[in-house]
Amino acid sequence: MSDNSDQKGDQAAAFQKIWTESMSKLMQTAFTFGPESAPPEVLRQIRTGMFQALAQSWEEFMRSPQFLEGMKQWMDSAVGFRKMSNDFLAKARNEMQAPSREDIDSVMLSVRHMEKRILDRVEELSAQVRELKQGGPAAQGERPVPARAPIGEKNSPRNAKKRAP
Amino acid sequence: MNTTGRFGNPWVQYQRMILDESVAAAGRMARLPTLFQRAQRVKKGVSPSEVVYEEDRIKLLHYVSEAKPRHHTPLVFIYALVNRPYILDLKKGRSVVASFVEQGFDTYLVDWGVPTSADRHLTLDDYVNGYMLNVMDYLRERTGVDSLNVLGYCMGGTMSAMFTALHPHRVKNLILLAAPIDFATSDGLLNLWTRPENFDVDKFVDAFGNCPGEFLQAGFQLLRPVGNLLEKPMNFFEHLHEDKFLEDFLTTETWLNDNIPVPGEVYREFVKYLYQQNLLTQNRMPVGKHIVNLQNITCPVLNIMGGQDDLVPCSQGTPFTDLVGSTDRKTILLKDSGHIGLAIGGRAQKEVWPQACQWLAQRSGQKAAE
Repeated sequence: MSDNSDQKGDQAAAFQKIWTESMSKLMQTAFTFGPESAPPEVLRQIRTGMFQALAQSWEEFMRSPQFLEGMKQWMDSAVGFRKMSNDFLAKARNEMQAPSREDIDSVMLSVRHMEKRILDRVEELSAQVRELKQGGPAAQGERPVPARAPIGEKNSPRNAKKRAP
Repeated sequence: MNTTGRFGNPWVQYQRMILDESVAAAGRMARLPTLFQRAQRVKKGVSPSEVVYEEDRIKLLHYVSEAKPRHHTPLVFIYALVNRPYILDLKKGRSVVASFVEQGFDTYLVDWGVPTSADRHLTLDDYVNGYMLNVMDYLRERTGVDSLNVLGYCMGGTMSAMFTALHPHRVKNLILLAAPIDFATSDGLLNLWTRPENFDVDKFVDAFGNCPGEFLQAGFQLLRPVGNLLEKPMNFFEHLHEDKFLEDFLTTETWLNDNIPVPGEVYREFVKYLYQQNLLTQNRMPVGKHIVNLQNITCPVLNIMGGQDDLVPCSQGTPFTDLVGSTDRKTILLKDSGHIGLAIGGRAQKEVWPQACQWLAQRSGQKAAE
């Protein structure tokens, strides 16, 4: 409890520090010009100076442990909320006997594992065939090195549509 | 008392400024009703192109030119999986693609398309050893050359470096544009924010699937909060009555807000292996069952970086030329340029791209006259 309040206190202090520093930098910028300076030029320079001062303070703040901790907490909450909504939708779909995202994901994963196994096997076989043709290591009893298909032999593109040159 | 000073009487100038501002404000107000229509009319890519190859969601665009290509080796642009690739062909006079087409290169661009939830399991292996390899083999077949020129932008540059290291015989010359390679640096905020103690990428991908485009966009905006959230809107309102400014602004903003999600597994691998473990520079980066060794890159390499890049700080790209096995390597650093400025900035168009075209032309061979 006290750790939590300490953390919150640190975050508030860091936030207060960034604003105090920003304001002091802004004031310094604003009062560097005399009454003799040309008005539009002065205003433009003051504005540029103010933005630069603000940008510097914010850069420092966004590197501070307090900001990083705050960002982590925010991300954890976002992930938690998303998980909760995923679970709720999955339950609702299951109740309606409709496939949920998890069901589709598991089907997709199975297909991808199958695809990977088939592709690996095809690669091994094509490497063996190539080496047999060339009288390479496979022909001399060495273990074939898996390799991708060379030019001409297609790398099993899915749904590829080629246009004539 | 002297009240006139070096610039004349300040009160007269204040009044003149108020008058000028009032006129400008009236001009701005007159623009507002047509602003939305103008934004809708922004073209996404200006150079004429045709789709020559399609696979799943990816499309390979061929840029059509009236003049025949003068250089023997074609050039392929590999864009990042974040945002859309038309930043490389944004508008006339600001198009990297057009710079190369005009210099006589047979130019192609890979458009990865927009991934859906079904693509969340796609990995870097699918992109590098699958789609990229298929595109390159198709182009080798189509153009009759053994190896091609590759230009990779941002994350596309990292992927191009991986591809070249894994398939060195397929790449003749490699150009990296603002490509992150060494992730050990903490110059960039992204490197700090994605450290394992600050960001649990596994939890994130497991919950969200694909990394939402809006999440990435918010992160990019936060890299320069004052510039993006204060300076930019004020600058926009100030120059709203200027045609040229408005056209440039709307074109760039259309692209900036055209966000697409990144496939979940690719995002996981990119954050975990690169941002958190920096495996690429240690030659331990796994792509499927292969390990990327940058020393395998022996072709000529050109590394282009911007000195003011917030997204990919110089320190992230500079080490590349020392890590490859090439002897022909060159770095171009445009000190005043940011990440997008390298592609569309006026100085980049004048200084960087003519140099890059010349560098590539010297290494691409001339096409035999027919």
